Formats: sequence, C-alpha cells, structure tokens
Amino acid sequence: MAIPQASFISRLLRDKWFIFLLIALVAFPFVVGLLTDSSPFGVARGDRMIMRGESVRWQAVLIEVYILAILAMSYNLLFGFTGVISFGHALFFGTAGYVLGLMLEYTPLDTTLAFGLGAVAAIAVCALLGLVIGLVTLRLKGVYFTIFTLAVAEMFFIFLGRWQLTRAEDGFAITDLPMWIDPSQNRISVYYIALAAAFLTFFFIRRLVNSPTGAVLKAIRENEDRAQSMGYNTINYKLLSIVVAGMLAGVAGLLQVVLNKKVGPEILGIAYTVDPLLMTIIGGIGTFIGPVIGASGLHLLDVFLRDATVRIGGLVIDIASIWALLLGVIFILVVIVFPLGIIGTWQRWRMKRPKRE
Amino acid sequence: MVRRRASLLAIIGIMVFLIGVALLNSNSAGDFGITMLSGLFQGMLLFLVASGLSIVFGLMDVLNLAQGSYFMLGAYVAYDVQHAGGVVDLISVIPDPNLRFVVAVVAAVAVGSLLGYVLERGLLRSLYSRPIFQLVLTFGVSLVALELIKVIWTTTPYSWTELFGVRESFFELFGQRFSTYRLFVVGMGIALIVAIALLLQRTRIGIIIRAGVEDREMVQALGINVRAVFTLVFTLGCGVAALGGSIAAPFLGASTTLGNVFLLQAIAVVVLGGMGSYAGTAVGSLLVGIAITVAQDTAIGTAFTALPSITPMLLLVLVLLIRPSGLFGNSR
Repeated sequence: MAIPQASFISRLLRDKWFIFLLIALVAFPFVVGLLTDSSPFGVARGDRMIMRGESVRWQAVLIEVYILAILAMSYNLLFGFTGVISFGHALFFGTAGYVLGLMLEYTPLDTTLAFGLGAVAAIAVCALLGLVIGLVTLRLKGVYFTIFTLAVAEMFFIFLGRWQLTRAEDGFAITDLPMWIDPSQNRISVYYIALAAAFLTFFFIRRLVNSPTGAVLKAIRENEDRAQSMGYNTINYKLLSIVVAGMLAGVAGLLQVVLNKKVGPEILGIAYTVDPLLMTIIGGIGTFIGPVIGASGLHLLDVFLRDATVRIGGLVIDIASIWALLLGVIFILVVIVFPLGIIGTWQRWRMKRPKRE
Repeated sequence: MVRRRASLLAIIGIMVFLIGVALLNSNSAGDFGITMLSGLFQGMLLFLVASGLSIVFGLMDVLNLAQGSYFMLGAYVAYDVQHAGGVVDLISVIPDPNLRFVVAVVAAVAVGSLLGYVLERGLLRSLYSRPIFQLVLTFGVSLVALELIKVIWTTTPYSWTELFGVRESFFELFGQRFSTYRLFVVGMGIALIVAIALLLQRTRIGIIIRAGVEDREMVQALGINVRAVFTLVFTLGCGVAALGGSIAAPFLGASTTLGNVFLLQAIAVVVLGGMGSYAGTAVGSLLVGIAITVAQDTAIGTAFTALPSITPMLLLVLVLLIRPSGLFGNSR
C-alpha cells in the first residue's frame, strides 16, 4: 500500500515550533534594535558603516551560535546517527577556513569571484579529506578512525602553525571580502546567511537521517556486523556520512572565517573538536535538536560568564581563566552521569510517562 | 608467513631509507652517530608512552587518550622534586643531584601510577558497558589534566636548570661528543622493553594478560578476576608514561605542549605497529623516533621546517597503505 507522502513544504509547516523560532530569529536584529534604540545596520559614517550598538553586537553573538550549531549538527550526524566518533572535526572546520583565506589572499581575481571559488574549493577539499581519511581507516575497527582524525587534525594544526605560506602562528587577516558578506560593513546580511545555513543544515540532516539511507546509517550505529550481513556495504554508507559531515563542518568553518575576517591556526585547534563533541553530548546524542540546544546553551553561557568572577574565600577567580577547566569537568560529568543529554533524557522521561487519553 | 615477510620488508625498507637520508645529511661518522643516538632516544621516550597505550588497548579495548597527560605530569613532578628548595627543602636533605634525580623519577612514577589507578577505578570502571564513552571520557580527562597543569604550574615552560653528573657528562667517538644521558635513556629503554617482554612471556600475570588480549570473556570464565588485571595494567601503563616524562625532563624540560606532542606520536606508533601488538609497538617506536630525528636534521635551514611535525603521520599513512592493520596487527 502506498503511503501518501506529504510534500516538503507541508511537512515543514507542520513544525509549528520551527516556524515560530525562525520568525523570532529573523526579527531578532530589529527587535533588539528597537528595545535598545540601536540600528541593526550599525552606524553610518560617511559611506562606511561602523559596527556599533547592541543590535549589531548581539548579531555577532548569534552568528557564532549558528556556526557552532552547524558544526555540532554535522558532528552529530557522525557520532549520533552513524556511530562513528571523530576527534578531529576541527580539521574540516579549519581546512575550509584556510582554503578560503588562501584563495582570497593569493589569487589576483575579483573578490566576489575569489570568494565564490574559494568557498566551493573549500567544501570540495573537505569532502576529499573525509573521503581519504575514511578510505584509509574505515576497514578497521572504529577506534582507528577516531585516533586517525585526532592525529591528522593535530598535525595539520602544528604544520599550519609553522608554515611560512600561511604566516605560521600569526595567521593572516582577510582585508577585502565582497561587500555583501563583509561583517564589518554589512553584518546583518552575514546574520541572515548564517541563519539560513543553520536552518538548511538542520532540515538537510533530518531529511537525510529519515531517508532509507539514514535508516542504514542508524543500523550501522546499532550493529555494524548485522547491517553488513544484511547486504549493505557499510563502508560506503559510513564514507557518505563522513563526507557529508566534513562538508557541513566546512560550511561552518567558512562562516567563522567570514565573521572573524581572520585565518589562523586556532581554527584548527582542539577547541573546535571539543566544542561540537561537548555540545552534542550535552544536548543529546542522536537527536535532531540536541546539538542546536547544546551549541546555543554553551555559547550563550560562555558569553554571559566571560566577565563574571567567583569568590572562594578570599580568592577571586574570573570565569574566563578557568572556562576550559569548567568545560572539561562538565564534559566528564556529563559522560558519566548524564550520557543521554538534555533532549535524550527528556525523551526517555516522556516515553516512560503514562499516556493520558 | 607471507604477511610477516611483507611487514619485515617494509620495516627494513623504511630503515634503509632513513639511514640513507641520515648518511647523506651528515658530514662525518660522528654526525651520523649523533643523529642515530638522538633517534633512539626519541624512540625510547615514545615507547614509554606507546607501550601503555598499546597493552591497555589490547587488553581492555580502551584507548587511553590521557596517556600523554601522564607523560607531561611525570615531567612536571620530576622537575619539581629535582628543584625543590622551598617549603619542602629536598635540596638540603639530598644534596647529591644524581641521587635526587633518582628520587624525582621514583616520585613521578608513584604519582603517575596513583592517578592512573584513580582514573581506572574512579571513572573508567563505570563505563565498561559503553565503550564509545570510555574513549570520550579519556579525551575529557586529558583536557582537564592539561587545564589543571596550567593552573598549578602556569603555562610558562620550565627548562631544566640543575646540572648533575650523568646529565652533563660526554664521551667522545669519531671526534664527536656524545651525551651519556641519552645513551643512559636508550639503555634504560631497551632494559624496559626486555623487562616488559619477559613480564608478558614468562610470568603468570603476563600469561593472563596475553590470554586477556586474545579472549577476555574466556579468561573471566576460567575464574580469573579480569577487572583486577585491568586495573593493574592500566596503573602500570600510566606509571610507565610518567617514567617517560620524568626521564625526558632533563632534556626537554616541562611544558604544557609536551603531552599532546607525545600522545600524537605515540598514537602514530601504536597504529603503525598494529594495535595491541607489543613487538609492533617496540619496532614502531624506534622507526618513528629515528624518522623524526632524521626529518629534523634534514629540515634544518630549509624552507620546510615544519616537516618533523608531520613525519609520524606521513610514516603512518605509508605503512597503512602497505599493511592496513599495521606492521604486526591482525586484520581486524
């Protein structure tokens, strides 16, 4: 019996929550602008814009949230839905940033063209990296992939931090971005691009995971030998998952470089591996919205606590200096005590609750 | 047997290549000797980190990503004990620096083993039913350890200032001065390789460990407390890593980057040698150690100064292309 398939749009409309959220986020720069009496476009000075005011400041914070959400969602596709752990997600994130940065810096093309080419090349390189790493390690136990990604990412980090072409540990600033995506001129357009990218990533991953391909991915997560014995070529499916996750992480990396207008080895650093891992686990592994909640929660917490201090006895400690330590401790606690994360625990609680009829 | 021969050929091929490059780069036999000695030195330090990693993985399927942190911790503890002149005035209690160094090493091993025991008993134990999370946990522990070390010792690197007999003495060969300390570390490393091999091959506990690597459940079914063996092996692994850090400290000092650098190189060693294979780890350590030193010598003065940092990775990819499961590994 053929089940009538609801069209993409009508199913989208059924997600009332998302429509509300989307509207709220689209309106966000203007609402903050109204509330704090600041322009969402910044302050004009001559024909240049100056990014000053609450609205613009909060746009930057949310752009960062969208970037981290994309990164965490791509991570969750691997970790949560395919059961493959990567400890080198920063590799894709940073490599995409470097490819774009090098393209803008070293090609004598028109900026828009260089930007477009750079973005496409960056995503292609990410796909290729995922493919190569997958091909080398996927035939072996899962742990090979994990430590191989860790090692490759760290060695890229060290290598690019010493390579002369990429200005070693200083990195380089991106001076001319196309006007329409320059966050110091036109931040609101970057805001909407990042927002759109985050929402598209969300729906894309949900579509992929709910497709027959996604069913195989989940089967691999549950029991790879069994999926294989049912006739699925599990390596191909895992490769697909890695390549897609790598490309999405690359998109996040591109946005990060655009937002900061700087390329440096820090975008390859271990922080961009730890963040998505932690965000995914805290939000809920293998849930769609979990990584988004983890990403927004952690980043907003970071922003709010950055200037805070705690007083223990006579000792004043500012949170910023022990933030990494706090994250690590939360990390360990969550893994041991709270492994399902916020959404996972909530779902389990809802399933256990007797249904009211 | 064919597979073994391929591995053997690969090992010999890589060694010949490395020695060839080293010979081309050195002006004299003395130069070449120094390169080889530093390579062996680096290899032995790597072995101390990698052996724990490999045996623990073979027995428990746990890859302890905090292993590098134990190495780093060993370096800091040894540094502190050797230079303790403050509240705990070790310098006046044990005035002989050589003797104090021995105490420093023992202290580092003790602290490392103790914290290894705490990690296994306190944190890892609850996760044996969820293997993926063990990996995630040790990763988290390595982050916390790094941050704690930053809080305790700050991020400023310590360089070893105190000179003591073995550290400073040299001997001459081919008109070049060789450091006795490096030779001492190499000798100690070889002794340890042999000792662990004997432990694994000749003692009852070694037989249990090897049997556990083959089939954990079967060993448990025979009435042996595998959990206790896990704890012992994990503790020893961490202790050996701390030993590595403490004997490396007189040369490398103590810094916050030490842990990650050695962990990554050790990972390359373990994968390259074949996970869980003891002989593979020993051979892999030497190969990677010598490769790094040769790359360092080759890269000096050229535009490619970043080469040594990616050498372990290049070697690893090369070996995995020839033998996907490492030099001495099983196919899955």
